[in-house]
Amino acid sequence: MTDNASDRSVQVKLVLLGEAAVGKSSVVLRFVSNEFQPNKEPTIGAAFLTQKCRLEDRVLRYEIWDTAGQERFHSLAPMYYRNAQAAIVVYDVTKATSLEKAKTWVKELQRQANPNIIIALAGNKIDLVQNSTTGSSSVSESEDEGEPDDATATPGEAGGSPALDTENVRQVSRDEAEAYAKEAGLLFFEISAKTGEGVVEIFTEIAKKIPIEHILASTRGSVGRGGNGGRPGASQQGDVDLDENANKARDACNC
Amino acid sequence: MIMDSDVVLLGTDLPSSILAAALAKAGYKIIHVDPNDYYGGDHATLNVDEIISWANLRSAPAENERANDYLAAQRDRFVSISYRGTPPPASRQYSLSLSPSIIPSVGPLISTLVDSGVSRYGGFKLLEKVALYHSPGFVQNVPNTKEDIFNNRNISLIDKRRLMRFFTFVSGDFEDKAELHGKQSVPFIEFLISTFTLERSIAETIVFALAFCSSPQEPALPALKRVRHYLGSSGRYGPSPFLVGHYGGLGELVQGFCRVSAVSGSTYILSHSPSSTPTGPLARRRYSISLTGLDETINCDLLVSSIESPEPTSVGVATGVARCIAIINKPLLFVPTEADTPPEGSPPAMDKVVDTALIIFPPSVLPGGSETTAAHVLVTGEGSMSAPKGNWILYLSMPLADSKVSAETVLQPYLEATLTLADEGHQIEPTFSLFYTQLECSSSAHDGRLLVPQITTLISECGDSAAVVAEEMFRETVRALDGLRRERGIEIAEEPIPFWPPLEGEGSNDEVEDW
Repeated sequence: MTDNASDRSVQVKLVLLGEAAVGKSSVVLRFVSNEFQPNKEPTIGAAFLTQKCRLEDRVLRYEIWDTAGQERFHSLAPMYYRNAQAAIVVYDVTKATSLEKAKTWVKELQRQANPNIIIALAGNKIDLVQNSTTGSSSVSESEDEGEPDDATATPGEAGGSPALDTENVRQVSRDEAEAYAKEAGLLFFEISAKTGEGVVEIFTEIAKKIPIEHILASTRGSVGRGGNGGRPGASQQGDVDLDENANKARDACNC
Repeated sequence: MIMDSDVVLLGTDLPSSILAAALAKAGYKIIHVDPNDYYGGDHATLNVDEIISWANLRSAPAENERANDYLAAQRDRFVSISYRGTPPPASRQYSLSLSPSIIPSVGPLISTLVDSGVSRYGGFKLLEKVALYHSPGFVQNVPNTKEDIFNNRNISLIDKRRLMRFFTFVSGDFEDKAELHGKQSVPFIEFLISTFTLERSIAETIVFALAFCSSPQEPALPALKRVRHYLGSSGRYGPSPFLVGHYGGLGELVQGFCRVSAVSGSTYILSHSPSSTPTGPLARRRYSISLTGLDETINCDLLVSSIESPEPTSVGVATGVARCIAIINKPLLFVPTEADTPPEGSPPAMDKVVDTALIIFPPSVLPGGSETTAAHVLVTGEGSMSAPKGNWILYLSMPLADSKVSAETVLQPYLEATLTLADEGHQIEPTFSLFYTQLECSSSAHDGRLLVPQITTLISECGDSAAVVAEEMFRETVRALDGLRRERGIEIAEEPIPFWPPLEGEGSNDEVEDW
């Protein structure tokens, strides 16, 4: 529970957005624990995960918020966006509609979030299409890990795709997504949470764009646990953190 | 498509949201639905644009308009709505609470926040000041600590001794003490004067500024319990017993509880209401519910609702609270009356500008105001993250005996009096003000649903009341679900499920958790 001075890392709240089943949680899991779970359940379990990211002589501590499924019926709370300094909007390169959905999330971020938020657009699941782009048809390897939620998420939506095996066919070209990202001022990556390709790069590229000095300078900018400004040490007068102060409080009661 | 759940919860007000988090953590599958496009129901925090649309929806309906059930009930509950002024720019930077509150530092809500892990989502600020309105431009500050009382030159030595006797009494287990015997229902003010021979003015300060009574006629016992609770809360996080939540208070906490609930697997559906009464029983579950505009059908065993259905039975004597939310762009100064000047050597009134404060208008203090009922004004500013720099939000509230009088008529004199405290000595105009009356409606359960009771509207009690209601509903819900499981021959654990299981090892937040 100590905030010692040697660990003066900058906290950065990063939120994930994107259609259900594009692999948002898998991206985080790859980044945070370098793991991949093929048959991952829809998101349950973590309030947020933290992971340090070293950048030259600075340490960023990402506080990564997953949607916890609240995006499904468009029920994310303002608290989710509050004080987020970065966002990764994920789509699935094998599903055209997921890019359209990603665009609406970008709009939502521009409406709801901090105006200086750094947004990265990430096309996930490129492992599924890499074989086909090289001409080889050995798609079977990817097939057994096809994320289970795809089954529930795809019905009838992949309109316009005549392919027999829509799952493993690229529906979003790199050029198209990249052009959109450029136009909207987003960082752009194609990644695979399964193989890990491109995942760490997103976080380091975002880290490079985070105005660290600015955050350190401003007391309000530092993200607290849960994204509320004002940590102890850099906090506003009279601010209270229930967990941090609880121990002190017990001492206080004795006197 | 069919969505299966143990419990469907209707309404995301604070008790329901705490309940959702507790049930989800206990392993029940919850679908949590709210007809509004925001979290919190009657405890929501809204920005300025949102609160205007809130007000418009609840004002007199346009002709030919057919309100849905929820809105019809809301129009019965929120009446006498009016607003003035232009919404300030940067509407989104304001967090306006429909349920303004101060939270005692020790109590059910704070315990629930810490035990549930929701505290990591919420920030708080100490309430800086409690003051009694005195006269235009002046307040009487309420001492924060016993030392303040000792140092107060305006209290005679004998009164100080009597006060200390009262504090010793009220801090202990007074329920069985001789002083209280047979006097539990005596008006609190009479009790203070007759039992502790306190001067009336000192007794009034206790009644209104320590116990937050609306009327001096309130019975002694509950008021004494509140005083004990608040005195025991000071010192935990600072000199003030009270916390004010960042970003509008309870509405923000609602979002934290709902997130914890979602993280534990609950499904959240805003902007939807049930399109029909539930039907059932089904093969596996008792009810089936459909929601307007959704293809999914929801099956569940239990329906728990904090949303009353419109029943025209609510005619009768309605009691309620007149409320006003006003935005100002000049600070209020807390200039003490001459009789209240601090002893020499204390710092001059540098800190008279206050970010977060509670002003109390005792009955009769205001010409043209109520002679029987106290009014409260909560002030929150940038420090509680609820308004941009240089702006403050005032929340006025006063219980109403007669709900026929408009909220604006009742509260306008109080708003004007509050504004005499503004900097530069001259009265200012709020940039925006909204008046409304919130009626207390009683609702009755039908179609087998469990109803989440309404919480108190008292500013210092509503948060704790929500936590207490939530825990009671948790027990009731678990009992009902256990009963169903038994009927189905499913074995259930003998041990009662704790309201909040220990946080350790639950897997949240512990990757690289090293702070």
